[in-house]
Amino acid sequence: MNTSVYGVWDGVAHDTRASASSGSAVTLADLGEFAPDNTTKAFIADRGFLVLDPDISLAEAFCQYMSRAADESCGRCTPCRVGTQRIRDLLRGFADGEAGGEVLDEVEEIAAQVTQTALCGLGQTCARSLLDALHHFRADFTPLSPAQAVFQHSYVYTTAPCIEACPSKVDVPRYVDGVKAGKFDFALGVVLDRYSMVATCGRVCVRFCEHACRRAQAEGPVAIRMLKRYAADQALHGGQLRFAQSTERRHQRIAIVGAGPAGITCAYKLLLDGFQVDVFDAHRAAGGMASVGIPSYRLPKDVLKAESEDVVRELGGEFHYGKVLGRDFTVDDLLDKGYDSVFLAYGASQGTQLGIRNENPKPEGYASGIDFLLDVHKHVEYGEPFKVSGDVIVVGGGNVAMDCVRSARRMGARSVHLVYRRTVQDMPAERDEIVAAEHEGIIFHCLTNPSALVVENGRLVGVEVVQMRQTELDARGRRSVEAIPGSESLMKCDLLVAAIGQQVDKAVLSPEEGIELDRWNCIVVNPDTLETSRRGVFAGGDCVLGPLTLVNALDHGERAAASICDYLLHGDVHVKPASYMQRFLARNKLLGNECLGKIPPRKPPAKVHELDAAARVGTFAEVETAMSKDEAYEEASRCLRCYRMYSVVTAKALIPEGNGGHSSSTLQGRRQ
Amino acid sequence: MKAHINGTEYSFEANETILEVARRNGVHIPTLCELNDIDHAPGTCRVCLVEVHRDGETGPAYLTACDTPLGEGWKILTRTHKVQEMRQLQMEMTMADHRQDCSTCPRTGNCELLVAAQSVGLKHVRFRYQQGWKDLPPDTGTQPIIYDRSRCIRCQRCVAVCRNVQNVDALEMTGWGNTAGIRLKGGSVDASPCVTCGQCVMVCPTGALAERDQVQEVLDYLADPDIVTVFQTAPAIRVGFGEEFGLPPGTNVEGQIIAALRKLGADVILDTNFAADVVIMEEGTELLGHLREKKRPTFTSCCPAWINFAEKHYPEILPLLSTTRSPQAVMGKVAKTYLAEKRGFDPKMMRMISIMPCTAKKEEAARPVLGSNGVPDVDVVLTMREFARLLRREGIDLKTLEPSAYDDPFMSEYSGAGAIFGTTGGVMEAAVRTMYYVVNGKELEHVEISQLRGFENVRSANVDLGGQYGEIKVAMCHGLKGTRKLVQAVLDGTADFDFIEIMACPGGCVDGGGTLRSKKSYLPYAMKRRETIFNIDRKTKVRQSHNNQQVKRLYADYLEEPHSEKAHHMLHTHYAPRPYRSTSGADIGAAWDELQTQGGGRTEK
Repeated sequence: MNTSVYGVWDGVAHDTRASASSGSAVTLADLGEFAPDNTTKAFIADRGFLVLDPDISLAEAFCQYMSRAADESCGRCTPCRVGTQRIRDLLRGFADGEAGGEVLDEVEEIAAQVTQTALCGLGQTCARSLLDALHHFRADFTPLSPAQAVFQHSYVYTTAPCIEACPSKVDVPRYVDGVKAGKFDFALGVVLDRYSMVATCGRVCVRFCEHACRRAQAEGPVAIRMLKRYAADQALHGGQLRFAQSTERRHQRIAIVGAGPAGITCAYKLLLDGFQVDVFDAHRAAGGMASVGIPSYRLPKDVLKAESEDVVRELGGEFHYGKVLGRDFTVDDLLDKGYDSVFLAYGASQGTQLGIRNENPKPEGYASGIDFLLDVHKHVEYGEPFKVSGDVIVVGGGNVAMDCVRSARRMGARSVHLVYRRTVQDMPAERDEIVAAEHEGIIFHCLTNPSALVVENGRLVGVEVVQMRQTELDARGRRSVEAIPGSESLMKCDLLVAAIGQQVDKAVLSPEEGIELDRWNCIVVNPDTLETSRRGVFAGGDCVLGPLTLVNALDHGERAAASICDYLLHGDVHVKPASYMQRFLARNKLLGNECLGKIPPRKPPAKVHELDAAARVGTFAEVETAMSKDEAYEEASRCLRCYRMYSVVTAKALIPEGNGGHSSSTLQGRRQ
Repeated sequence: MKAHINGTEYSFEANETILEVARRNGVHIPTLCELNDIDHAPGTCRVCLVEVHRDGETGPAYLTACDTPLGEGWKILTRTHKVQEMRQLQMEMTMADHRQDCSTCPRTGNCELLVAAQSVGLKHVRFRYQQGWKDLPPDTGTQPIIYDRSRCIRCQRCVAVCRNVQNVDALEMTGWGNTAGIRLKGGSVDASPCVTCGQCVMVCPTGALAERDQVQEVLDYLADPDIVTVFQTAPAIRVGFGEEFGLPPGTNVEGQIIAALRKLGADVILDTNFAADVVIMEEGTELLGHLREKKRPTFTSCCPAWINFAEKHYPEILPLLSTTRSPQAVMGKVAKTYLAEKRGFDPKMMRMISIMPCTAKKEEAARPVLGSNGVPDVDVVLTMREFARLLRREGIDLKTLEPSAYDDPFMSEYSGAGAIFGTTGGVMEAAVRTMYYVVNGKELEHVEISQLRGFENVRSANVDLGGQYGEIKVAMCHGLKGTRKLVQAVLDGTADFDFIEIMACPGGCVDGGGTLRSKKSYLPYAMKRRETIFNIDRKTKVRQSHNNQQVKRLYADYLEEPHSEKAHHMLHTHYAPRPYRSTSGADIGAAWDELQTQGGGRTEK
């Protein structure tokens, strides 16, 4: 039942009703059942609309859709601001039987005007399927019957490619709008609505949003991350953030294990909701991998502290540092101590071994990437003794490997080499990081793979490497690599860092605690709610996902907080309609490749300002410097606001979320 | 690259918009929000639609000319029936949520929106959306500039001029949907970087931005037989007012203005030019003192928006500002003391009414330091737009009036030096003429100092003062963008000047924020007005402030000498830092409240 009965998709109409069968029905994965036990009756998108139950009122479905469009219209351009209201009102009158079919002509005229002439993606897309419907199925527009007036429920979800690409679903165009409007506090507030670590994310996020940006197809994506950083820096430089603190003081206490991005975000959201939160962490400062894993030349520690530890403390949260789960306490202990819920976010901080000869016992002069970065962190941050000299080899091609080579350079290594088994193009690290490493004089050895450590008297003196070559393209069009027989050679070095990945520590949870782990020791959770197999215990971040990105962890932290809130206040956890919609859109790639028809004037993207390579390698000072206000305004003006709306008419009302969400649900029942 | 517009082939460069190419070739496309003079094309009104035919497409596209780059081989049609209908619908929607109450609008008779409506041939407005403003309370504030959202068309020209031309950045876009509009950052003049220069008003296409109208106050004074109404007219007024009554731009209407004021029933008519001469006596003396003390540079102090700018944006520069009052404030003080004494007026019954090309003068007049015992030296400031309204309310047509002349025996003579105060470089030139005389005991041979008369936003020159001073280095700046750079350079120690003249408005007072508004242009008459000012200087008998006989008499009879204790008490002022930014950090609660009003509002997972 994932197939439409009638509708228009990508401009092509179809009608499978017996009386007028034409065209072929459209099938989308999961279309038939939007949520468990709740069937879909119609789906309206920017690309068209699909009706699964011909008994619904098309006029009502579009009226609700356009009503949301009028609410979403920012009001800057005329056709969208006024046209969407006019369409809404005309459809309302028609559906209610107050106006006759002649108003549909005016609806069509205005819908065409809005579609053809609106300034941004919202206006250009919000009336497209209405136009299709009026063109092909005008006869199906009828005033509501008494039966229809009772049951029809629409859920409308507004998003954009950049939002949908972001694990945290941050409303990117909204905060870019905030910068453009000159409202930096507002821009910051849009992101702070999701998580507190805005300036951090504005520096080190991997930018799924920019990869999805429509401008990327022209002269380059909007520098979304730089704009986020700009807004956050403005506020942080101006003093503290003032929050609207929850007036409600709730008695429930939550223990959060891990003060990394996931744990901090969860604490922040729960504290804003009035809960009492204690955060436990093995280290002596908050930030987790963002603190120990990201060197300060990319993320100054004071920036991180201000929006992790300081924010949580200011909101009334408490930290318990130097406490290691599995060593100093267990989940049982926490629940015994009276915590009402536990969020596990202890990360994945065990380095992965290379799996070659002489790794065990670990020789002196050999470290994992994450251990090396931790030593650097303790040296830079706390002045603990740690010396790097001589020649350093780092193995790996990811961001951690880049952090290691660039840190080694700053720590005073004579030469720094990067060994990677594939080509530079294959490296998973961000391009900017690779280029920065090259500028800083890192020597790259690609298509090179370690085959054995060379150890003398328990001390590493070099590594045996073998040259690799690319294989022919395989069936999926990808190349693999293979060792070239007899190409072994020796690379001498004083320190070898294996930065090829991290794992979850398996010593943390014991089986008796009833928390299910998978074969990689990751905690098994319900991906929507982050519930573990143990009631009241939730988990998120790297200890669930394996080593992933900062913004994935932020998303988990926020989602866990919502689930914990549900659990503590209602006794069970709901999946939000937005989650169903997001999954549905992703599954069917509905925001995938379509592009706006308008060609915007070319505007070159903002330039990144960096300290000169020669100057920066001697210090851990921040490399990338902030953009100017004029640059921020100019860059923000490049955003095309590719908003679009997706609506489902479902058999039953979806669970209301109280606050009427943008990417959460607004339940728009019949207006009385 | 080549394309056709209405059948004619034109060449163009890559990334040029359809509108740019059409305009260059004299093809008319109606526009509304766009303002080419400040390089502003926000694409919000969507009126400038054209029909575009492109190879490989089945039908024409309807695109906005202002923000669509023209493509190779495109065929543009600007006049098809369809495109005209679409423009009409666009305008219909614009009018639908606009307060179509022209009779009460400050822009009535001179509105760009109506021109655009006529330009597209608007036929009807079938629906209205007034929810965005119908419950909006009237703005009863005391700030010089009033914003009325019900007349705003969201063109953002004000934001652009404030940001990009003036570099003050006091405005933000706010609201949502029906309530979208602009506001001062922080919500008020005091909380925002605003210096009340009024450039936002000069570019507003409608009556959404306007000066706070004080015409009624003046009419009330004129109608009160016990009140002595004293008018002063700024140097720039006479060269920028004639066009309101159909005279060519730049016409000198000094005589007609005096006649109009007489017809209104003004009791005393004075010329701010007289006070400008007094300012030169004080400021010139002050500057020579600073030069002897090696205190440099000294900034002029006659421009109130510049004073606001210094107090708000660069308080550390305040000690370098001349303490001499502005001509308006000098006039107010001298009239209510010296003139009152000479002519036997009761100062309590005198009302000083200034006609100024300036919105910031309204704020200046309200400064407590520019009054005594709570009574301001200047009671009401009218911009030139209000002055025009005042004349219309009294049925006075300037064009038909026989020119009259100032007749006050004490305070109406002026020198050419006082006259040129209204244009950039004028204060500097006036000061140099007098300082040269003071230093050398003889007049400067060539009074028109050509090196001071450029029109670049920031200019510098060396002037030989002779005597112990020798050559001094001076700079002149009009517009706050250049001012910011210059002040920053002074603070950084990279600017080497003795005397710096600042006028906040681009073009100086003749194009001030209180001058008449133009449609779809910014500073169109700058050079004509400036030329007339220079001509006035050439025609005055006396060209130096120190040779103004009435000024000489003022000092002889009353003030003793420039910078005497009495002069210092009456004609000087002081400044204080005006921090405007909230120092307690970002207000996220307020941001969330605003977010709540937008579309889906705040989210929760």
